[in-house]
Amino acid sequence: MIRRLASRPEVLVPVVALVVMLIAFLCTPLINGRALTSFDVYNTFQGLAQLGLLTLGLGLTMIAGEFDLSVVGTYALGGMIAVRAGQSSPVLGLVAAVAAGAAIGAAQGGLIARLRIPSLVVTLATYIALLGLTSAMSGGLDVTYNNTAATLWIDQPVAVIFSVPSLATLAAFAVAAVIFGGTKIGREVRAAGGDRRASRVAGIRVDRALVGLFTASGTLAALSGALFSYSYATANPNPGFQPLILSAVGCLVGGVSLAGGRGRPAGLLAGALSVALLGQIDAITAIPDYLTELLYAALLGVIVAIDAPGLRRGLDRLRARALTTRLQNRRHTPDGEPHL
Amino acid sequence: MTTAKSDRRPPMAATRWAPARWRADPLDIGIVVVVLAVIVAGILTTRFFSLANARAILASSAWVGITAIGATVVMIAGSAVSLAVSQTATVAAMVFLETQQFGLPVAIILTLASGVVITALQGAVIGFWTANPIVLTIAAGFAIDGVAIWISGGTTVYPQVTAFNALNGTPLGLPLAVYVLIALTVLAELFLRRATAGRHMYLLGENPAAARAAGLPVGRVTVVAWAIFGACIALTGIFLAAFNTSANSSLGGTLSLDAIAAVLVGGTAIGGGKGSALRTLGGAVLISAISDLLLLRGFSTGIQLLVKGILVLMVVVAVHVRSTRSRR
Repeated sequence: MIRRLASRPEVLVPVVALVVMLIAFLCTPLINGRALTSFDVYNTFQGLAQLGLLTLGLGLTMIAGEFDLSVVGTYALGGMIAVRAGQSSPVLGLVAAVAAGAAIGAAQGGLIARLRIPSLVVTLATYIALLGLTSAMSGGLDVTYNNTAATLWIDQPVAVIFSVPSLATLAAFAVAAVIFGGTKIGREVRAAGGDRRASRVAGIRVDRALVGLFTASGTLAALSGALFSYSYATANPNPGFQPLILSAVGCLVGGVSLAGGRGRPAGLLAGALSVALLGQIDAITAIPDYLTELLYAALLGVIVAIDAPGLRRGLDRLRARALTTRLQNRRHTPDGEPHL
Repeated sequence: MTTAKSDRRPPMAATRWAPARWRADPLDIGIVVVVLAVIVAGILTTRFFSLANARAILASSAWVGITAIGATVVMIAGSAVSLAVSQTATVAAMVFLETQQFGLPVAIILTLASGVVITALQGAVIGFWTANPIVLTIAAGFAIDGVAIWISGGTTVYPQVTAFNALNGTPLGLPLAVYVLIALTVLAELFLRRATAGRHMYLLGENPAAARAAGLPVGRVTVVAWAIFGACIALTGIFLAAFNTSANSSLGGTLSLDAIAAVLVGGTAIGGGKGSALRTLGGAVLISAISDLLLLRGFSTGIQLLVKGILVLMVVVAVHVRSTRSRR
């Protein structure tokens, strides 16, 4: 059982991470001596909403072996468009932001699929351009959202522990899980990430899948930005790399490999929830900001190093060498052991 | 990324109409168009073609250019890009200011050493373990930032002695950094073309599997490339510190993205194996000329960034189209 799990890191890693984080979360009263309340759970789900949609978008492209760096740019732009266009009608702002995100994602996906350019450099250039566009829209300053009714509505608790953004996040994950599990799309995307050439030869329409995935990641990022600029009642033209770091940690903890071909929406949800729990633990225990920053950096660095193919190759080589020496020693033992 | 390189469509007789000797190179055409556009817009803009403005363009390209030369070496060696540059330059600037009391030469050496160590460590993880450079350097940038705030207490670093004033000199009317940039470009170009290690970097970037099979010390070559990069970032940090006379955690600004933009606009391929330091110098000067033009025309920094992003995207597409075409 354990061996079977260990050979499936896309299940093992998120499950272990989530269990560890849940235990740590439940143990926080031991540190600060204050019992957990339903508000802590509400806050955890708020944290999930903050990074969940980005994690899902980024994770989907990572499963297909790509990396959408532009999600932070689309996130910033989505927030800015929503605040600009949605002062009187929040729905209009939301629709405008999501439409822009989808268009940007589709354009990038088309470029990447059609010309077969590495997604990283395309999305990096788009990120620079989007950062400039967002900053040009706001003159480089934060823009406040004056529709207080919308801000109050969006953060009111639903069923004690949820809110509109966290429910939207959970719904997005549910939709993705159904599409991935119920249709052949999931298998096709994983195949495209595992061996692009073989899946093309096998007749999988990789290009169409890529356009779809990048459209999805752009849409989700813009939606996330719009929801949070409403929630904070302000749009920040340059959120920096922090949201990207958190969602990248969420993806990798969620069992996705940087090499592609591995992962599923349920794992991504577990990964994002683990990061949200970690954030809530940080908040409860009041760790200074730079230590939190260091913690996430260390976590991401360690995961990337473990995920690196070279390390595994090196370990395999070491193991092979150990095995050879053991065999050789056995051959040289005089006490009549069987020769191998 | 690796799969994208190998799965080309079957060769086609695509360029039958073209003369056999000369083929329209999308990159060259694009660059010529952009340069012509800059010249035309420059003629229409008052004060663009003046000695003072030419000086300003060169001066503003110097800091980014120095870092971009290092980034070129790393990109040629196939490690793509680093997103930890701003933070490394900030830390280098802080080290430089904190070590002023030991005299300028010692301060410079210690700063260069700190930049080399920080960056070469990332190079080691990337070279020996083939870790993903983008995600690793994002993490490293965060870690460096966190440690810098931890040690400095989040405050601005002021020097006790100002031994660095010599670095702000302007011999023949140009900042010292411009001369350093030009010297560095020549050195890097010579290193890449003539030195064994430099040629190894092209091979490694062109085809890592072949380099490994040929017995190239892949890890060591990568670490050397990143160490050079680290020295270049530290140099930029030194000039930033000397110019600002103090350093806080936001000193590095958008240096990471600016350096990447300069390298990519210069036409160095993100996949590695192709490019040159001279082209990066051209890219850095072109970007600062465009930024300067937009500034003179009264556009905001946001618009400048937007134009930079679009330019990078165009050049990247052109470089890619060219490399796939030559393969057919």
